[in-house]
Amino acid sequence: MAEIELRNLSKAWDASVAVDGIDLTLADGEFAAILGPSGCGKSTTLFMLSGVYTPTGGEIRFDGAVVNDVEPRDRNVGIVFQSYALYPNMSVLQNILFPLRFKQVDDADKRAREMAELVQITPLLDRRPSQLSGGQQQRVALARALVKRPNLLLLDEPLSNLDATLRLTMRAEIRRIVTELGVTTILVTHDQLEATTMADRVICMNAGRIEQTGSAEDLYLRPDTLFVAGFIGSPPMNLLAVDPSAAGLRLDVDGPVTLGLRPELLRAAETGVPATVSHVEPMGRETLYTAQSELGQVRFLEPTARPNWAFGDMLKLAFDPADTLLFAPDGQRVPDAHATWKDLAHA
Amino acid sequence: MTHSTTDWDALAHRARWQRQARTAAITLFLVAVSIPIILPYFWMVMIAFTARTGGAEADTLWTACAVLVPITIGYAVAYQMLSGRARLAAAGLALALAIALLFVFLGDALHVNNFRFLVNPNVVEELRGKATAGAQFPWVWSAFFNSLVLATVQMLIVVAVSTMAAYYLSRFHFMGRAAFLQSLLILQAFPAITLVIPIFLIVYWVGLLNTLTAPILVITTLELPFFIFIMKGFFDAVPWDTEMSALTDGATRRQAFRMVVLPQVTTGMIAIGVFAFIKGWEEYVFVTGLRTGNSYWVMSTYLYYVREDVMGVDYGLVAAVSVMYVLPSLILYLFAQKYLTQMTLGGVKG
Amino acid sequence: MRTTPRTRAVSDTALFLGPAIVLLAIFFVAPILVNIVVAFTDMSQTLDFKDFPTTKQFNKLGKLDDEALLGIELRRSFYKALMLTLVFVVLTLGIFNLTFALILGLTTTALPDRMGAFFRAVWLLPRMSPSVVYALLWLWVVDSTERGLFNQILMAVGFEPMNLRLDHPMAVIVVANGLIGASLGMIIFTSAIRSIPEHLFHAARADGAGPFSIIRHVILPALRWPISYITIYQALALLVSFEYIFLIMGPARSTMTMAMLSYTKTLAPQIGGGQYAYGAAIAMILIVIGILVALAMWRLTNMKALLQRPRIEVR
Repeated sequence: MAEIELRNLSKAWDASVAVDGIDLTLADGEFAAILGPSGCGKSTTLFMLSGVYTPTGGEIRFDGAVVNDVEPRDRNVGIVFQSYALYPNMSVLQNILFPLRFKQVDDADKRAREMAELVQITPLLDRRPSQLSGGQQQRVALARALVKRPNLLLLDEPLSNLDATLRLTMRAEIRRIVTELGVTTILVTHDQLEATTMADRVICMNAGRIEQTGSAEDLYLRPDTLFVAGFIGSPPMNLLAVDPSAAGLRLDVDGPVTLGLRPELLRAAETGVPATVSHVEPMGRETLYTAQSELGQVRFLEPTARPNWAFGDMLKLAFDPADTLLFAPDGQRVPDAHATWKDLAHA
Repeated sequence: MTHSTTDWDALAHRARWQRQARTAAITLFLVAVSIPIILPYFWMVMIAFTARTGGAEADTLWTACAVLVPITIGYAVAYQMLSGRARLAAAGLALALAIALLFVFLGDALHVNNFRFLVNPNVVEELRGKATAGAQFPWVWSAFFNSLVLATVQMLIVVAVSTMAAYYLSRFHFMGRAAFLQSLLILQAFPAITLVIPIFLIVYWVGLLNTLTAPILVITTLELPFFIFIMKGFFDAVPWDTEMSALTDGATRRQAFRMVVLPQVTTGMIAIGVFAFIKGWEEYVFVTGLRTGNSYWVMSTYLYYVREDVMGVDYGLVAAVSVMYVLPSLILYLFAQKYLTQMTLGGVKG
Repeated sequence: MRTTPRTRAVSDTALFLGPAIVLLAIFFVAPILVNIVVAFTDMSQTLDFKDFPTTKQFNKLGKLDDEALLGIELRRSFYKALMLTLVFVVLTLGIFNLTFALILGLTTTALPDRMGAFFRAVWLLPRMSPSVVYALLWLWVVDSTERGLFNQILMAVGFEPMNLRLDHPMAVIVVANGLIGASLGMIIFTSAIRSIPEHLFHAARADGAGPFSIIRHVILPALRWPISYITIYQALALLVSFEYIFLIMGPARSTMTMAMLSYTKTLAPQIGGGQYAYGAAIAMILIVIGILVALAMWRLTNMKALLQRPRIEVR
């Protein structure tokens, strides 16, 4: 168990920069998730933490000590891969015992069996990985990563090879096991639901940089950048390029900005932005509407149970000015700046 | 006139018929073109077991064919109609029938006298006096043993060296890796057999002429680029995740290679091992080319000179030696067939 | 104390790559260079670099002549070898190594798996047998007396026995090499056909394609690279091959191809004349062709896959 610190960490290959100077500190026992689209540098960061890649700049510190040049085998890091990466030539028990073969451990067998008990695979110990289901392989991989009592546990897209039901179970399982052991954990994923449900803190990455670090709620309600605003949430946030000169719109700032507003925070009302429904997508509990408004194309959510609209219906859309976000042309959010519409009924 | 309904039954019947006719036609074609390959081998076996001193009588060949062809066809038909256990029973029955009938019709002709060279070291000299082109023939077992040494040692070196090199080329980044791989690619396509003359000279200069070591090293080397690429293909297919996992689990790269990566490429090692063994077992050009006189004998030279000396005198002996020579290759080939088909040529665009 | 990554890199290279490099340098790269040097000497049985450098050997193959095509007039024996080589390579490659290999690939994949595998195993038999045994079988097949297998069949259907080695030597070596050569193409084509996605066949069939249009529009396009590969690779192999020709025909003039000429003038048992420089000169022509063809094969190589960057950086 350790405190992990990244300082201006970078990784570049010949011409391309995969990780471009990131800073991050993880408290001992914290569960953090690195979230980002594929190619954002999150896996490269993970491989630098495990030691199979050498950073080209910056520092990695475990409990204050720089470990940049420490071999993977000496870092005491556990890792679970998307493919599970179980050794096909070994039984489940041999897989779990493998990390202990390189350490002076007297009670290796006992520890392996305890770990198997914790992840609930005791009946499978004599099987080969090829005889296991995806969920079972996942548990073996977890046991193997944890049996050496690592300083740091790395999870690389651990759930993306599982079906939807199993994913729900394993999400809770991994959280339970990790909490029980109190190990510092970093989850790498492109799935925001996975990140927000499992981790204490979410680190959103894009193009080799950290866009924002915070709780799931921070990222959802108060995105720092345009990228985070667009990446987090489904259906995605409405992002409208607006101009202060647009009739009816009043902005707290000067100059062209992007207006961000979540679909569920828009509602049909007596007064507001005039719009015409152009597309209707029933999604079960709610229905997603696309409409052409005077601000551009917007999407909004309404409960399906309510009286609803059809293609071509005209209506007015209202919102709470406090819910609006404004992003400057450089992609950064302008703090405490909002937008409002001329005839919105002010509360 | 238009049909209001489609006659599905007739269409299905026609499709089934066409499918069966096509399979039958293809099978017949393949049988026809395969006969010229199988028949000479079969004849070799028949000569070895039936020829008396002097002649090779073809009557026994055609008699045996008359017995075996109907049984084979009968078994093929039975195989199509039966399934599971019944097929096995049919095979057993066909085999028993074939053996019984062969004994009935050929019992008198069959004998193993042609294999007397296995116990008598001086067969060739007894047939030809001392005037043999191959000069002093050794006992066949001495040639057999040399061939075995040549093939086995060569196989072990090939498997070890190409496995190591292929792993390094597949898994490590080092200065000049691309250049090395590209040169290797040229060597792999290079017609090595054209080098027999300069190789003879080099072997002479390093003092390895007339030793078994020379063909071992030369055959190994010339096959090396090809086998390295085959093995690299197998290593490339081992997921990186397992190796990374082994490293974070505490292994060094060499330990990860030995404990985790190597066990995943055993198929490839068996495949190139079999290939290399068969190559070493059959080698003729570099064996005769790298010796002056008869400093050592292997099976290929033994058979070559037996053929030169006694072909006109004793067909049976030549055939018997051939059978003995070809048998290890064939057994190995049958055993390893499933591995051989898994080899894909490294790097060729798909 | 732990070794540094740098010393480990050196020792890794030595351990993993060292044996291969040493062997390849001594017995593969050095011979190429030696051959070039020897071709410009008058080396014979005494094995010394007599008269280096001299173009004597190449003068034996042809002489400069402004009147002749390309400015070189070839000597008769060499001209004949060149023509024989051309005929041998074109016929064997065209009939067997390509066409028949393709037919075998197509037919054996059209049959149920086990039957197809059986016939492919039969066709691999000659390749797996020792060359001396295979050549011996051919001698028995084409034997000029009525004992020869071919003559027995001829006589059974009412023809006169023939002496194939004397009357049709080229046919004998083309078929003998072709029956072996067809198996490589067969294997490569089979695996290429196997790797065509199943749904392409389903789609073609649903669109009403018959077996021949499936071959034409689905299978052949997928075989483009394998066919180019086999053509180049096998043309090169046939160009330099002499083992089976020598074992079946001996030093007969009727089948004295370039590779045979080089071999019989130097190292062939009992008849090898020890004219090393002359043999090396002919070999050098083959080597030059070989290198050109090998370079042409680059185009067929998937360099991106070959040179893919390793994903672990630590030693």
